[in-house]
Amino acid sequence: MDPINPWLDPVEVRRLADRLMKPNAEPAAPLADAGFGEGFVGYAAAPPPLPPQKVQAPAVPTPPPVSPPPPPPENPTSARGPFLDRISRFRDWMRHNFSATGIFILDREGAVIFDESHHGRLHFLARSLALTSRRPGASAGNVHVKIGAGATLEVIPVETAYGSLVLGAVVPEALDPPAVLAVMEALAQVASPPPENA
Amino acid sequence: MGKTTVSINLAHSFARAGVKTLLVDADPQGSVGLSLTRQSRLLAGFYDYLADPGISFDRLIVPTRLETFSLVASGQGSDYEAGGGGMGAHLARVRAFIRSVSARGFDLCIIDTAAGLFGVTGDVIASSDAILIPQQAEPLGIRSVPKLLEGLNRLRVMNPRLSVLGVCLTMVQHDLAESTEAAAALRQLLPPEMVFQTQIPRDGLFVRASARGLPIGVLEDGAGAQVVFDSLRREIEAKLEPNGGHHAARG
Repeated sequence: MDPINPWLDPVEVRRLADRLMKPNAEPAAPLADAGFGEGFVGYAAAPPPLPPQKVQAPAVPTPPPVSPPPPPPENPTSARGPFLDRISRFRDWMRHNFSATGIFILDREGAVIFDESHHGRLHFLARSLALTSRRPGASAGNVHVKIGAGATLEVIPVETAYGSLVLGAVVPEALDPPAVLAVMEALAQVASPPPENA
Repeated sequence: MGKTTVSINLAHSFARAGVKTLLVDADPQGSVGLSLTRQSRLLAGFYDYLADPGISFDRLIVPTRLETFSLVASGQGSDYEAGGGGMGAHLARVRAFIRSVSARGFDLCIIDTAAGLFGVTGDVIASSDAILIPQQAEPLGIRSVPKLLEGLNRLRVMNPRLSVLGVCLTMVQHDLAESTEAAAALRQLLPPEMVFQTQIPRDGLFVRASARGLPIGVLEDGAGAQVVFDSLRREIEAKLEPNGGHHAARG
C-alpha cells in the first residue's frame, strides 16, 4: 500500500514546490533589507529584550478584558458620517488612548485606504507580517515588531463587513491583549455599513 | 528529525574543505551545543545575543581544534524562546547577527534552527540566503511536507532572496520497506532538483559520535560516513555557486 499519496494532493504539492524552486521575480534585496533598507532609522537601535508574554499577543483566544482600557473621550463609533470622518475619529481615539502615531489601514489586497505614516516601508512590513502570521484555518492574530527605541509597529488584522483590513500603528510599547481587542472592535465598528434606518 | 546531525557534520565537512564555517545552534534545546561541548550550556549564545543588545558578537564565538570551524552555542537565553515567539520580534537582531558573521570573515554560516517556521526560526529564515530542509524518511514526516512548502512560500514574501537548496532525506533505513518507500514517494512527489541525491542513512556511528561530542568524520571509523556529508557538501556548493551565496539556514 502506498504510505504517502492517500494523504497528499500530489498536484498541489508539486505546484507549491515548483513555486518555491522558481527564482523570485522580485530583485534580490541586500542582506539588511526586506523592503525597508539600512537607511530605515527604526532599526538603527537594537531592540531591548522583551519578556516572552509580550513577544506576540494572541488576539483571538484572549477573553474579553476585565478592566478595559480607559474609555475614550469620544467613542469613534458613536457618531456616523462619511467613512473617512469615522476613520479620522478612530485615529484620534487611537492617539488619545494608546499614543499611537503613523496610523495606516490597508485593505485585503494590500492597498492603502488610510495613511498618516507616509512610509511605504512600514506598509510593506505590515503586509509581510500580517501574511506570515496567518495560519491556515485560523483568524490572523496581531503581531508587533520593535522598530526603534520607544517605537513598536503594531499590526492588527481585523475582519470587517468590508473584508479583512490590516491596521498598522506605531505605539510606544506593544499593546496588551485587552487593548488589541478593543482596537479590533472599534475598527470593525468604524468599517461597518450604516444601519438600515440611519 | 536528523537536522542537528546534518548541521554538525555538514559544517565540519565545509570546514575541512577550507571554508571558514560558523555553526550556530538556534534550537532552544541546544542540540548542537549538547552534542559538541558539555559546557555549552554555560556559554553565552545565540539567544542571549537576541535578548541582550549589550552582548557582542565576538563573545559568542567558540573556536574548535579545526581553525576553519567555529561554533555559537544556543546560550542561557534559550529558555526565553521555549514557548515560541512572535514572527518578526527578533528580525532586526537576527539580521544584525548575520551581518556580524559576514563582517567577521566567515564564508558560511549554518544555523541549526528549531522545528517549525514561526518565532525565531521564521526570523532566521527571513534573513538567510538559503534553506536546506532535512526530512526524515518515514511516512508520517513526509505527510507534513505540504504544510512546510506552504509556510516557506509565505516566508518568501518577507525574504524574496531566499533560495531553497532542497530537501535532504535523513535517517534512511535501507532494511525497512516503509523507510525506502517513503523516500521513493518523496522523490516522486517533488521536482527532482528539490531533493538532494545524497541521503543520510540511519547509522549507529552518529550516536557514537554524538556521545563523544565529535563530528562523525573525527571518529577512527568515521571516514565512510564522512563521505556522505562530503557528497552533500558538493551538491550544495554546486547550487550555491551560481548565486554566490554565503549563508544557509536550516529549518
